[in-house]
Amino acid sequence: MDARLRRVNKEIADCKNDKQSNISIELVDSSPFHLIGAFDGPEGTPYEGGHFQVDISIPDSYPFQPVKMKFITKVYHPNISSASGAICLDILKDAWSPVLTLKSTLISLQSLLCSPEPRDPQDAEVAKHYMTSKSSFEETARYWTQIYAGGPGKEDMGKACDEGLRDEVVMAGLDRAHVDQFEALGFERSKVIDVLRRMNYRGANVAQINDDRVVEELLKS
Amino acid sequence: MPDTPESYDVPPISVSPEAPKLKISDLPDVGEADVNGRPPSYTTAEDAELFSLPPSDLDSLTPLQTYEMNENFLSESVPDRPLIAPLAPMATLRTEYEGGSQLFVKQIDWLTKYGYAGIRRTRGDGDCFYRSLAFAYIESILLASDKALAVTSAISVLESTQSLLEQAGFDRMAFEDFYDCFVNLIKRVITPDNAGQLLSSSMLLEEFNMPEVSNSVVVYLRLLTSAHIRADPDSYIPFLLDPDTGELNDLQQFCISQVEAMGKEADHVQIIALSRVLKVNITVAYLDGRPHNSQEGKVDFLEFHNADIPGMNPVILLYRPGHYDILDKRNEEPLE
Repeated sequence: MDARLRRVNKEIADCKNDKQSNISIELVDSSPFHLIGAFDGPEGTPYEGGHFQVDISIPDSYPFQPVKMKFITKVYHPNISSASGAICLDILKDAWSPVLTLKSTLISLQSLLCSPEPRDPQDAEVAKHYMTSKSSFEETARYWTQIYAGGPGKEDMGKACDEGLRDEVVMAGLDRAHVDQFEALGFERSKVIDVLRRMNYRGANVAQINDDRVVEELLKS
Repeated sequence: MPDTPESYDVPPISVSPEAPKLKISDLPDVGEADVNGRPPSYTTAEDAELFSLPPSDLDSLTPLQTYEMNENFLSESVPDRPLIAPLAPMATLRTEYEGGSQLFVKQIDWLTKYGYAGIRRTRGDGDCFYRSLAFAYIESILLASDKALAVTSAISVLESTQSLLEQAGFDRMAFEDFYDCFVNLIKRVITPDNAGQLLSSSMLLEEFNMPEVSNSVVVYLRLLTSAHIRADPDSYIPFLLDPDTGELNDLQQFCISQVEAMGKEADHVQIIALSRVLKVNITVAYLDGRPHNSQEGKVDFLEFHNADIPGMNPVILLYRPGHYDILDKRNEEPLE
């Protein structure tokens, strides 16, 4: 049997037999080279209570080349693209070692949720949010966990989880009063949210940003 | 997600705190890049113009610039070179330096004069030290006067390393394939394969040009090096420098990013650790174009000797700034 297949089969079996780590790996179709990994959000973080899925693709020269992973579940985190799920983590790039496994890599992703590294961001906007106000960032991350990862509080929100009914202001980590203020000037609400998010109109930053600059951006968008 | 068009935030996110940075030239002599020479190149005469800077300009470069240029050059050449090449006469190396640094030419002549007639080149992919060592190590077993003893000793050392790797926290499932691959190659020196053949030098060369085999052995040596450093932190911690910043790394970080990862070059620390744990004698010849050796082109040899069985010749590697090849007294592949 080809060495890559032998190795991947061993890894899948190992994950199935391991009931302690709470890491799961499932086949997408009949190929063992395209998998879905999943784990729970770590306790004591805004991701607690959420269940996160990761798309896993095994390259031809695995394990000498790193496994490709990206989040399927949307995550609000400085090192994970909020749009594509792409992950910025050294072991998925130049620090990969063939002794790492699918399980150990998924555990590293779980740890990444515990310890964001905003100085080496994948998602610059989220990183700025984190650096400006950690508590506001955490609130947004928690809301994303509820909406996308089945986090606690989802039941209370009822239909809010459906597309369209969720609160876009909270999703963007903004202050409702700020959005209302610029909407009142006659701009479309979704545009206001988009611009304020891009401008990182949060926390202490608000005082640094002149209203005229916001309006200027709104007119450009 | 598209990049933010402008940044309005107060704290810049991409600026790390300023830390004093050592220049490479401030570091102790741990195989740093050197100037004064046309850097080693893998070119033949027809693509020599790739190297457009004349030697006089090269002299003004800092060691780091020279090193980076070497690196770029080596990586450019990667696709063309075999993982490990057949033995070639030293004259082939000499021709590459003839238009450049005379210091390098003198040193090549010095090596030739003292009987080092051949060079076996390794691909410059960052794994060159480990790959060169692995090949030369198995070949030394193949050429040992008592092959059976050499094989038994090597395997007994390797068998004991599996528990060392597990103590270092490596998952057996993730390293056993690399171990089996390495040990099976050594066993074939005295045990015929399925086709009834014993391992020969040419078969070894063929095996080492199969990426899966070659890289498996490289990985095992990397893990062995890391496991040994992790098991004896007191001996190594003061020397775990980050090659890019010159700052001390912590043990875990160093082992992960500078040893276990593929394509990360070995420095003295890794060579010392590996020669100890593998109980092997490694001699490194420094072809460095240094002015203090310019008189008669004398080449310095550094010995990392830790073998505990007699009668084994040391593995001799040839170092040029940023790269390792294998040095040999033969100038062509042996006839079989």
